[in-house]
Amino acid sequence: MPLFVAGLNHKNAPVALREQLAVEEDKLRELLLDLQAGDVLREVVVLSTCNRVEVYGLAEAPGEARAAAFRHLCRHRGVELAAVEPLLYTHLDAEAVRHAFRVAASLDSMMLGEPQILGQVKEAFALAQACQTIGPHLHPLFSHAFNVAKRVRTETEIARHAVSVSFAAVELAKKIFAGLAGRAVLLLGAGKMSELAARHLVEQGAFPIYVANRTWARAQDLARALAGTAVPWDELATALAAVDIVVTSTGAPEPVVTRDMVTRVMHGRRGRSLFFIDIAVPRDVEPGVDALDDVYRYDIDDLKQVVDANLRERAREAQRAEALVEREVGKFLARQGDVEIIPTIVSLRGRLEEIRVGEVKRTLARLPEASPETRAAIEALSSAIVNKILHAPITKLRASSRAGGGRSWGDLVHELFGLGRRA
Amino acid sequence: MYPSLISLAVVAYICAMGLALAYLVQRQDLVHRLAVLATLAGWAAHTVSLIVHAVERAAPPLGSLPDAIWVGVWVIVLLQLLLEHRTGVRVLGAFVLPIVVLLSLKATTTGRPGMLAPALASAWIWIHIALAVIGIAAFVFNFVGGIMYLLQERQLKTKRPGAFYYRLPALATLDRLTFRTLALGFPFLTVGLMLGALWARTAWGSAFTFDPLAFFSLVAWVIYAGTLAGRAAGGWHGRRAAYFAIAGFAALVLTLGAGLFLPGRHGS
Repeated sequence: MPLFVAGLNHKNAPVALREQLAVEEDKLRELLLDLQAGDVLREVVVLSTCNRVEVYGLAEAPGEARAAAFRHLCRHRGVELAAVEPLLYTHLDAEAVRHAFRVAASLDSMMLGEPQILGQVKEAFALAQACQTIGPHLHPLFSHAFNVAKRVRTETEIARHAVSVSFAAVELAKKIFAGLAGRAVLLLGAGKMSELAARHLVEQGAFPIYVANRTWARAQDLARALAGTAVPWDELATALAAVDIVVTSTGAPEPVVTRDMVTRVMHGRRGRSLFFIDIAVPRDVEPGVDALDDVYRYDIDDLKQVVDANLRERAREAQRAEALVEREVGKFLARQGDVEIIPTIVSLRGRLEEIRVGEVKRTLARLPEASPETRAAIEALSSAIVNKILHAPITKLRASSRAGGGRSWGDLVHELFGLGRRA
Repeated sequence: MYPSLISLAVVAYICAMGLALAYLVQRQDLVHRLAVLATLAGWAAHTVSLIVHAVERAAPPLGSLPDAIWVGVWVIVLLQLLLEHRTGVRVLGAFVLPIVVLLSLKATTTGRPGMLAPALASAWIWIHIALAVIGIAAFVFNFVGGIMYLLQERQLKTKRPGAFYYRLPALATLDRLTFRTLALGFPFLTVGLMLGALWARTAWGSAFTFDPLAFFSLVAWVIYAGTLAGRAAGGWHGRRAAYFAIAGFAALVLTLGAGLFLPGRHGS
């Protein structure tokens, strides 16, 4: 019985349709039970997130099962099946396994490597388990998929580099200072973005935090919120001398930190690096400071450029992840293939052995004078013939089963040797 | 047995270099582990080769300049294994092992005339060579740290993160590496050179007769002394320190080149 997955995702279905189809847990439970009660699906898991709606299952006729599942779903959600049908994709067997692994490993996500999808797949699995719609086929599939996802996260860097501007700034700071523990931060201006960046820095151990703002009260408020210290605006230069990282986001029309100011400040720092994260537009820090040694200045465009580079790096890592997934699909199919084809091999062997034993018995009955040696030789001869004959078909069965085509070969063998109906 | 041990070590170092470079490109944990294993295997064979050599000759395996370089490589690989483990800078091998391979090939393919002239052999001369070798090994890391610093600094200054941005450690880490290796190598080089000069006076009557190797090593010493003074007094660091690390190492390369190719007391 083929394993299949059918559904739609962010790549082919518009968000309007996806949000219409997204199902909350109660309804999902109902849907699972309904599908299980019908006779087209054997095991079933429904994954419903804002980016995808997918039905994983085991069905004799995947086409029918898919239609049944989405008919149910559309009825639940009040959507025309006709609107959904042309967008649906279906994957069978090996393709379905690969799809499940890629989804769990966040290789099929809108944002490569995003961490939420694995949790969502786990929830879908847990819910199906609670509804008892999981059996001996989907259980190994999903537990293997969780393993693959974990390996992809730890063995590739697909989820390592920041994809938001504020996290990219934190990573840059780490590339300059190594650890951020005990690095002093100055906030100039009190925008939401700079507060967010400051919070990320604090999470990494940055301390102490100073806040300067033209409005003293505002500086005090933000300082309190960040457990920092408010600094009077006209003591800016002193504060610059004391800190390692400066986050700026004032609404000033002219730069508030000039090259001259930074040149003077750097003199007294004995080579301690100074990192400007300039989120303001227009910019707060004169671009001329780039020419100064040990001064690093990233404005909003620079940070976006870093994020773009990080995304490209994720895409490169995704290729490595795909190779890993491919290997795991092979392993999974090999294991499944063995599980599936072993009963056929056992009954085939049993059948031939039965014939052999019967024929040997008849022959020996006609040769009462045969010496023990002759009897042993006849036994050995017949066994050898059976084994020789079985060798090629068994090898072929195992191989095709590992390649995902074991079912039809198995059926053929059952037919040919009259082994009875397959389980 | 002895030459085959040397070949084994050199081949292992070449494999380790290939793997370390592959790790720089691919960043697969397995590749890194294999690179470390190959390095360890090479170093083990190398260690045995040195012991066998010393036992055969009943003298330290430092009798000629190629021999001394071979011992230097041994120290470099040891430091490489220790530093990579301690600093967690896993790409270090990709930078150090090419130098290891070059030096190994030079040391093992240059004819080894063997022993020092009996007139020269004394405990002091062995210590002179040993200290200089350890100092030079430390400066290999000073140099590599400087190179890595400049690469990473370029990435951060140009604001276009490329392969090195992701692979190399933080500037602060690299600056610490160059400083610590300078502080480690300098005393060894200093005492090694002083012993050499003292020995020269006893053996030849003058400490400062011109010898190409001695000349360039003095140049290197002056560069390193200047960097160290600059670091201590002027707060030199980062890019400037990296430039000096490269200059000092260039002088050391000339030192070895002079010893290998020019006639002089250190040559054979």
